[in-house]
Amino acid sequence: MSHLHLPDGVFPSWLWISGLLLTMALWFLLFRIRPKEDFARRLPLLGMMAAVMILGASVEIVPIAYHVNLTVISGILLGPSLVFLATFLVNIILALFGHGGITVIGLNTLILSLEGILGYLFFHLLWRIFRRLKLAVFLATLLALFSSTMAMIAVVGLGASHYEEMIHGHSEEGLFDFKLLKGKEGPPAKAHGKEEVHLARFVAIVLPLGFVGWVLEGVITVLITNYLHRLRPDLLGLEP
Amino acid sequence: MTQLSFLDYLAVEGKSPLHRLSPGLKVTAVGGVLLGVVTLKTPPMLFVLYLILVALFFVARIPLKVFLLTFYPLIFAVLFLFISSFRLSFVVLLFLKVLCGSTAVVLLLTTTSYPCVFQILGKVLPSLLVTALFLTYRSIFILLSVLEETQHALYLRGGFCWNHPWRSLNNVSNAFGHLIIKGMDASEKMVEAMRIRGFDHRIRREGD
Repeated sequence: MSHLHLPDGVFPSWLWISGLLLTMALWFLLFRIRPKEDFARRLPLLGMMAAVMILGASVEIVPIAYHVNLTVISGILLGPSLVFLATFLVNIILALFGHGGITVIGLNTLILSLEGILGYLFFHLLWRIFRRLKLAVFLATLLALFSSTMAMIAVVGLGASHYEEMIHGHSEEGLFDFKLLKGKEGPPAKAHGKEEVHLARFVAIVLPLGFVGWVLEGVITVLITNYLHRLRPDLLGLEP
Repeated sequence: MTQLSFLDYLAVEGKSPLHRLSPGLKVTAVGGVLLGVVTLKTPPMLFVLYLILVALFFVARIPLKVFLLTFYPLIFAVLFLFISSFRLSFVVLLFLKVLCGSTAVVLLLTTTSYPCVFQILGKVLPSLLVTALFLTYRSIFILLSVLEETQHALYLRGGFCWNHPWRSLNNVSNAFGHLIIKGMDASEKMVEAMRIRGFDHRIRREGD
């Protein structure tokens, strides 16, 4: 729920290109700092966890097209650097499956990996404080999903001026616009454009919908972690 | 999720002229469509692009139920409408952009198998990333078979039904937990098998 399956063509080019470049830069950085042998050894694990996340994303739970991301549990199991790589793979495959835009793979990866990385950090911090597995996992999931939803809202907010252009249907710098009537147009719509981009309304819709999703994902992550703790506690890497 | 294996089946078994086109050409064409989606700013031109894509969908003889998949991203695009004042021009522009993108991608995937797409991507992306994509793709099918086996156990425990939400959530979560454990075990076995076969950080295809 935190990533909005951001579609192609909605965001300004500078935004999605920056997202792609930043994601590729992080990929190269992580690839450089990890020994190649270690990375190659962990590739099958990376592939498996990415596949689990893809399966999670394909199971719709309620009629609002909600699906679990399983990013927090993946973050806990894989660690911060590998979960970033896993979310990149997940977003590429989901985009090819029609779940989201191809151009926004970078932005979606940054938002989703933030969720996984924060989930990992919050979980270990809360575990140290409370020493109660269910509480630590639930709060970590809730906080991580809240943070990534806010990041998504911030990304949507960055494109505000672009939406004004889209809403008014004309742009001075457009490559394919017909400008035969230029000069005979009425008062520029952009002058009152700011009144027509309702980011607050968007936030008011996304946050309550998101909250339902955060709680649902939190409960499912707690139940999965509980299952793993019963059968393979070593996977969670908990400090004694 | 069976949709993924069905898409793969359509891509491999399809015999239409579009299936016979070179994967490189199709990936380039999708790139062209995406360029159009990003740069076109008027609904009429996007509508023409969409009509061409829909015509190609039927030329490729892809089942109608797959065509419905292309509407899936509209659910999320609806949320973007709250940003505008529900202006008709914005609604049409947004929906056409979303539909053009999703139709092009689903068309590519139903006429070209994933490994072929990954092979093309391998020409521009790092080999380890492409290897990771191949392994993820393979893992999806391994986990799907695990999930099929688990379905019987889930069914015996009450499966998923709205009358018992807690039990349903428990069952779904246990299924995912089971999937993770099985996946991790399978990945360890895969590492061993790949080492024995002389894996050198990239997957080679016939002819490499």
